[in-house]
Amino acid sequence: MARPRSPISERNPNELRHEVEARRDLVVTLNGRSEPRLIAYGDDFLLAKLPAGTRVIYPPPPLEELADPDLAIRYALLHPENADPLFAQLNPNMRVTIALDDISLPLPPMQRPDLRQRMLTIVLQTLADYGVDDVHLIVANSLHRRMTEAEVRRMVGDRIFRAYWPDRLYNFDAENRAELVMLGKTDHQEEVWLSKRAAESDLLIYLNLNLVPMDGGHKSVAVGLAPYQSLRHHHNPATLRDSHSYMDPTRSGLHRSADRMGRVVNRNVNVFSIETAINNRMYGGLLDFLHKNEDRFNDWDRARLGTLQWTQRNLSETLRREALRRYAAPYGLTGVWAGETESVHHKALARVFQQYAVPVKGQSDILIVGVPYICPYNVNSIMNPVLVQCTGLGYLFNMYRNKPLVRPGGTLIICHPLRDEFHPEHHPSYIEFFHRCLAETNDSQELERRFEAEFAHNPTYTHMYRYGNAYHGVHPFYMWYWGEPGRQHVGRIIAAGCEQPEVATRMGWEAAESLEMAIAMATADAGSSASITYLHLPPLVIADVE
Amino acid sequence: MSVQNPHRTPRPRATRRAAFYDLDGTLIDLNLLHAVGYILGNLGEWHARLTRLAALAARIPLLYAAERYDRRLLNVELFALFKGVSRDRLTVLGEEYCERILTRHLFQSGLDLLEGNRSAGLEPVLVTGSPDFLVEPLARRLRIEHSAVNQPAYSRGIATGRLCEPIMAGEEKARWCEQWAGRGGLQLADCWGYADSYYDLPFLVALGHPVAVNPDRRLAATARVRQWPIVHFGHPMAVNPLTAWREA
Repeated sequence: MARPRSPISERNPNELRHEVEARRDLVVTLNGRSEPRLIAYGDDFLLAKLPAGTRVIYPPPPLEELADPDLAIRYALLHPENADPLFAQLNPNMRVTIALDDISLPLPPMQRPDLRQRMLTIVLQTLADYGVDDVHLIVANSLHRRMTEAEVRRMVGDRIFRAYWPDRLYNFDAENRAELVMLGKTDHQEEVWLSKRAAESDLLIYLNLNLVPMDGGHKSVAVGLAPYQSLRHHHNPATLRDSHSYMDPTRSGLHRSADRMGRVVNRNVNVFSIETAINNRMYGGLLDFLHKNEDRFNDWDRARLGTLQWTQRNLSETLRREALRRYAAPYGLTGVWAGETESVHHKALARVFQQYAVPVKGQSDILIVGVPYICPYNVNSIMNPVLVQCTGLGYLFNMYRNKPLVRPGGTLIICHPLRDEFHPEHHPSYIEFFHRCLAETNDSQELERRFEAEFAHNPTYTHMYRYGNAYHGVHPFYMWYWGEPGRQHVGRIIAAGCEQPEVATRMGWEAAESLEMAIAMATADAGSSASITYLHLPPLVIADVE
Repeated sequence: MSVQNPHRTPRPRATRRAAFYDLDGTLIDLNLLHAVGYILGNLGEWHARLTRLAALAARIPLLYAAERYDRRLLNVELFALFKGVSRDRLTVLGEEYCERILTRHLFQSGLDLLEGNRSAGLEPVLVTGSPDFLVEPLARRLRIEHSAVNQPAYSRGIATGRLCEPIMAGEEKARWCEQWAGRGGLQLADCWGYADSYYDLPFLVALGHPVAVNPDRRLAATARVRQWPIVHFGHPMAVNPLTAWREA
C-alpha cells in the first residue's frame, strides 16, 4: 500500500502560514476604525465594538485535510508506532474490546460519517478477516451521561449499530461494580480501576478523536473506562490547581496523574491506541465567515451574518436550540496514528498544536471570552450556569501554553446570558449543586470536603446515570473544580450580557448588562490604560504566550 | 479567587432523613383500579362477582371523570364498591393480591433505588391512596415500617363503603408527611419524595428533593419547569423481583 503523501509537502508558500511561527498576523490590534467583533454569546452572537488598542487573537485557518481518510487509517494500522501492526496481533481465539470516545467530542458533532465510524469499519473488517469474533464495543463515557440509541447510531453508523447494539455495543457503566476491576495502584497510591471487560481482553483497541491537546493519550483509557474510584485521584481541586494549563499536558497535574494510571493499565492490558487529529473547520458552507477577521468581511459575509442574527432572534427558543443541535461540523481528518499509547499521542499532539497554536506576546489586564451554545457536556442538552463556568473559566481560560493570557489578579469577562436553566434528565445533580451547595460556598476544597461524597453516592443520581441519560452525581463538582486554576489566577470575573444577575452572584461573579458595561467596570478597576485581549471564537485557538 | 456566600449560613442537616414513595405507577406499574377489579372479581359466588364487576363497569365514566378532576373523589367512588365486604375477606384478598400480582409488578430499578436510599440513610415511607389491606402486606415484604394509606371504614367488621378521614390524596399526603416528620424530628427539606402523578404535586412540593418517576404529561412539564429530576423506571421483572432480591 502506498503511503499517503504528507500534507505539509503539498502546500504552496501561501499555505505555510499554517506553520506556527508564521502566524503573527493572527494577532490583531484594533483601532478606532476597526469593525465590530463577533463574540459567541450562548445561542447567539454579539457584534460588539471593542475599545481601540484591544488585542484580538484569531484561530489559525484549518489545516488541509487528508484526501483519503480510510486509506490513512489503513496505513496507520499497518505501520504503527512502537507496536506490531494490528493484523499481526490477532488470532481467532482472542477476546477484543474496542473502546471509543463519546459524544463529548468533537464539538459540534461532526458530519456523517463520523471518524469513529470510519475507524470502526476498518478495524472490525480487519478483526473479521482474522477470524476474531469475540468483540465488544464500549463507549468510553466514564462519568458522562450514557449516549442514547440515536446518538450511538449516528456515531457508529447504521450497519455497525444493527450488528452490535445493544449486546456488544454499549455505554460504559461506572457504577456496575460487577463489571469493574482494580488493576493496582500507582506510585502515588492512586487506585487504577477499569472496565472488567476491557481489562480481561487480550487486546484493547482505543479509537480516539483529538479535538484539543487535552484529549487522548493515557487519558483515553485510564479516564474513559474508569469509575469514580479512579477519577477522584485527579479530578480534585488540588490536582487541577497544579495544571498550567489543561492544554499543555507537560505542565498539567491532571495529565501527570492520568499518565501514571495509564502506565499501570498498559502494564496489565495490551492496549493498541488509534489517535486522530482533525482540523478546526467548525463552520463551513454558509457559515464559513465565522472564521474570518471581521475587518475582511465583504458584503456577502455581512449579508450572511445579518441573516444568521435575524434568524436566531426570530426563532422560538425551542426551534433555535433545535437548529443549533442539528448543525454538524465539516471537520476534516489531518492525521491518524496507531500503536503504543505514548508514541502515538506524541505525534498526535504535535499535529493538534500545529492546528491551534498562535504565538502571543505578553499577558493583558483584561481577557474577554465568549461562551458559545455548546461545550463537551451539553451536546443535545442545555448550557447551564455550572457548564458556563466550566467552559469560560475552565476551558477558555486554559487555552494557553506557558502562561495565561490574563495577568495574575486580572479580570476575565465572560459573555453569556447566564440563565438559571438546567436539563433535569441530563444534569439532575447540577441543579442541587447549584441551588444548595453553591448557595453556601463556592470554595472548591470546601465543596469537595462537605458535599462531594454525598453526591457521588446519591442513589437517585446513580440510578439516573445508570438507567437514564444523566451525568454522574459527582459531575457538577468536577465541572466546578475545572474552573479552579482560573479562579485562583484571576482577581475578578464579570459576566457580560448577564440576564439573571443572581446567577452570577451565586458563582462569585459580577454581572454586567452588556459587554460595554463589563469593560467599563473592568477598566474602572485596572485604569483606562488597561490592556484588553479578546480570544476570538469560533473555532478554537491556543495562545503560546511569551 | 473564591467567595464565601455571606448571606447563607450552612443549615445543619437532620440526623434522621426519609424517602417518601408513592406506590401506584411509582414503585409498581399498576393502578388502584386493577386492584379493585381483582378483589371484586374474587368475592363470593359467581353471581356476586358478576354483580360487583357490573357495578364497577357502570361506574367507569364516573371514575374516569374523577380521575381527570379529583383524585380524592376517585378514591371515594372506588371504595364505595367494597360496601358489605368483611374486613377478614379484604385482608385475605389483599395478601393474595400482593403475593400473586403486586410483587410481580414491582419495578426492579425502583426496588434498587429504594435499597440504595436505605443504605444512604434514607428511611423508606410509603404514602399512597391504596387501602391498608393492600399496602401492609407489601410494606412487610419491602421491610417498610411506616406508611400512609387509605383506611376503609368498618361497622362490626363489615366495610361501610366509606373511607376514614383523612383520605390520602393531593394535599392530604403533604399534610401527613409534615405531621409525620414533625413527630419524628425530621426536616422535610432533607427528605426525598418520589411520585408519578400531577395529583401528587402538593406532596412533592412539600419535600426538599422531589423526583418525578415515570411522570404523566402534566407532572413531566412541571418537573421540567421546576428543574426536578425525572426518573424512568423500566418494565417490571417477569420473575418475582422480591424473590430474586431476597436470594441476592
